[in-house]
Amino acid sequence: MSEAPRPTVAVVVFPGSNDDRDAQHALELLGADAPRIWHTADELPRETAAAVVPGGFSYGDYLRCGAIARYSPVMGAVIDFAARGGLVLGICNGFQVLTEAGLLPGALRPNASLSFVCRDVPLVVERTETPFTSRCAPGQELTIPVKHGDGCWFADDTLLGELEANGQLVLRYAEGANPNGSIGDVAGVSNEEGNVLGLMPHPEHAVEPLLGSTDGALILGSLIDAARLSLAASV
Amino acid sequence: LVDVELATDDREQALAALEQMCERLLANPLIESYSIELARV
Repeated sequence: MSEAPRPTVAVVVFPGSNDDRDAQHALELLGADAPRIWHTADELPRETAAAVVPGGFSYGDYLRCGAIARYSPVMGAVIDFAARGGLVLGICNGFQVLTEAGLLPGALRPNASLSFVCRDVPLVVERTETPFTSRCAPGQELTIPVKHGDGCWFADDTLLGELEANGQLVLRYAEGANPNGSIGDVAGVSNEEGNVLGLMPHPEHAVEPLLGSTDGALILGSLIDAARLSLAASV
Repeated sequence: LVDVELATDDREQALAALEQMCERLLANPLIESYSIELARV
């Protein structure tokens, strides 16, 4: 039996990124090739089947988290890739970058507590028909860590209603477990087309039993499944 | 507070440039408001 093909999932790296190697490790563990792409690159590798914008920091996060990174050369390539239907996952600072870039709705504000939070949180999977959650069961509870100071996702009532109606609210914090004051307990949101997802929790930190949870593998594994499919479709 | 120095004497041109800077980078209009004050230096 031949091995499943390893799709290329490009991991973007900004000055200040610090979860890029964790993302690379997790993706490679789960069956992808995951080259790290420096922020000055103005294109992604030709074979890229998905892109991950990882956590950490970017350009000092001056003005607002992700506001400067959004104008980096590599983000031009990511925006083009997403516009062509490419799969893009933003984790934590990556989520902030993608909202600043306009690839995802809403914005991330400082945590309601004004304190940095770093702990495992329970999440509920609201949508499973996405490229990022296909390995999950509807309503499944996942345990994945968060570590952020600016994770309070915001949308006004009108936008929140639209996103709810469109099925773009993919992950929520379990009832009573919202770590940052995020509106509607939203932990992860997609774009309207469904090919871009951002989330504050770190699936790459929950892929091996040693890390306390393997639930993050469901998210990253779903992405790799979808990347593999897009690879097969492009042959 | 953000100070921006522009090499122009044209008030309209300066306002237009600053509006664009605020909308695209200096503020996130979804969660932030801004106001612009012009002064000749």
